[in-house]
Amino acid sequence: MNNTEHQTGKASTLQVAKAVFWSFLGIRKKDDLDRDAKMIKPHQVVIGGIIGGVIFVLSILTLVKVVTS
Amino acid sequence: MAVVQDVHGHHDHHPSGIMRWVMTTNHKDIGTLYLWFSFAMFLVGGFLAMGIRAELFMPGIQILEPELFNSFTTLHGLIMVFGAIMPAFVGLANWQVPMMIGAPDMAFARMNNWSFWLLPVAGMLLISSFFVPGGAAAGGWTFYPPLSAQGGLGVDMMIFAIHILGASSIMGAINIITTILNMRAPGMTLMKMPMFVWTWLITAYLLVLVMPVLAGTVTMLLTDRHFGTSFFNAAGGGDPVLFQHIFWFFGHPEVYIMILPAFGIVSEIVPTFSRKPLFGYASMVYATASIAILSCIVWAHHMFTAGMPTVGQLFFMYATMLIAVPTGVKVFNWTATMWRGSLTFETPMLFAIGFIFLFVIGGFSGVICAIVPIDIQVQDTYYVIAHFHYVLVSGALFAIFGGVYYWLPKWCGRMYDVKLANMHFWLSMIFFNVAFFVQHFLGLAGMPRRIPDYSLQFADFNMISSIGAFGFGLSQILFLYIVIKCIRSGEKAADKPWEGANTLEWTLPSPAPYHSFETPPVIK
Ligand code: HEM
Ligand SMILES: [Cu+2]
Repeated sequence: MNNTEHQTGKASTLQVAKAVFWSFLGIRKKDDLDRDAKMIKPHQVVIGGIIGGVIFVLSILTLVKVVTS
Repeated sequence: MAVVQDVHGHHDHHPSGIMRWVMTTNHKDIGTLYLWFSFAMFLVGGFLAMGIRAELFMPGIQILEPELFNSFTTLHGLIMVFGAIMPAFVGLANWQVPMMIGAPDMAFARMNNWSFWLLPVAGMLLISSFFVPGGAAAGGWTFYPPLSAQGGLGVDMMIFAIHILGASSIMGAINIITTILNMRAPGMTLMKMPMFVWTWLITAYLLVLVMPVLAGTVTMLLTDRHFGTSFFNAAGGGDPVLFQHIFWFFGHPEVYIMILPAFGIVSEIVPTFSRKPLFGYASMVYATASIAILSCIVWAHHMFTAGMPTVGQLFFMYATMLIAVPTGVKVFNWTATMWRGSLTFETPMLFAIGFIFLFVIGGFSGVICAIVPIDIQVQDTYYVIAHFHYVLVSGALFAIFGGVYYWLPKWCGRMYDVKLANMHFWLSMIFFNVAFFVQHFLGLAGMPRRIPDYSLQFADFNMISSIGAFGFGLSQILFLYIVIKCIRSGEKAADKPWEGANTLEWTLPSPAPYHSFETPPVIK
């Protein structure tokens, strides 16, 4: 995991998704954070964050629909 | 780097006397101005609070006519939120952010001056509105229409003041963002930034996001009042509930704007006096970001009684309760930082621990308010008042006190009277709880907020609350005395008065030099 030689490489979609997911919970390991900070570009965070936000809202909505139906 | 050059150009030619303060572009001078301004506003808002509690000391109407009472509650809220708490945090940011990231000054030094000097104008507008025909705004600090559509000149002055305050906040936020992103010392990567800087960075983004919404809201109110529009006027096809939606779309993130920098301060103080690094730094950064994002999708928990489909109620209830998760992560991390640390209880640490303890109570009562069936009972009662004073007074304000006691030796090169400062903490702590804990019971028993008179069964608890409030108010005069005594005749403070501290500002001499880091420090 600690492939520092890759620090200029672009983050994969999965890595962005993971970072966004953990940010919603508010927990993250220090190593992962360092890696995120090195590899994820700001626009990736923004786009990932927006998609994550939409998914978050939709899943609460689904839950609410299930509860009320 | 042109910015840095500019700062150096002005070196040592700054005017003296009053003009030093009017013309200053120095982050420390401006920080000082912000802090004194917010303390002055704190006294004004406190005076209004004393008036409110004096009227509520006994049932019946003794001191304030109902209309004036309503103006007191309205202006108390507005002045405390926009005049005291927010400028105090901006003042702390002005002083600390450049020092903590190893920069010589803020990025936009002149804009910094302007964003401060707008504040006294807005403050004067709010205060003087008491003396215009019709009196000050009286529709609550949330100024819902139709009440705010009806008031007189006082409401227009309030609208204007909010416009100005919003402009000032946006400029301050842009300045802070630019400073943090561009002026860090070499080696100070984002992930090495102190938590106070991180929380302010995220707060500044929140400010830029929601202050324009507030500006839009008050502008719509203004055009409804004077230019014949009907955004919020049902008779003209508008909808007063629309106001509540856009107000709270601003309002809920706003409450987090007032608490995230407080989280930052506590995250500096707790590690210092536990002599351990902050537990879960990465988690703290993510939790702060998470709280900021979530805070934008929970606003309608303030409107459960305004009429909403069940689906909407449940959505906002679940979303609000989820916010408690990252907040809980933070509390866990502070506690874990103290766990098995070698703790000492200097004044800043006392305030930080007081913060953690009481903020948790406020957080819990918040979650209780978020439960729809309960909120329908307690909405607009003293329970809500108790909730938000636990998060704003023992939360935001205690953190500000903690921050001042933490950094004051660095600012003025002198140490304050520790005995008196500890006394200030204990008096504040005790009287705060006397004043506000009983309000939970009043609220549960059904006492409505914003009412100058009440039924007899509420009498005892109100008297206790008023006594606590007077005590709390008086204790703050002690704070003023402590600070003045420190500036005038405190003992010389060491460069690093707290042995456990290790952020950059402690590498500077005390008092900190006029320009913080002329040559950027190198971070390992
Ligand atoms: C765990 C986090 C929190 C939750 C779940 C929460 C929840 C709530 C809810 C549901 C209400 C509406 C109550 C009602 O009007 O019936 C409310 C009101 C309020 N909250 Fe919180 N809250 C939290 C944290 C905070 C924080 C950190 C602050 C500020 C620093 C804050 C400031 C306020 C204010 C000012 C109001 C009242 C606004 C008014 O009607 O005048 N809350 N909160
Ligand atoms: Cu809220």
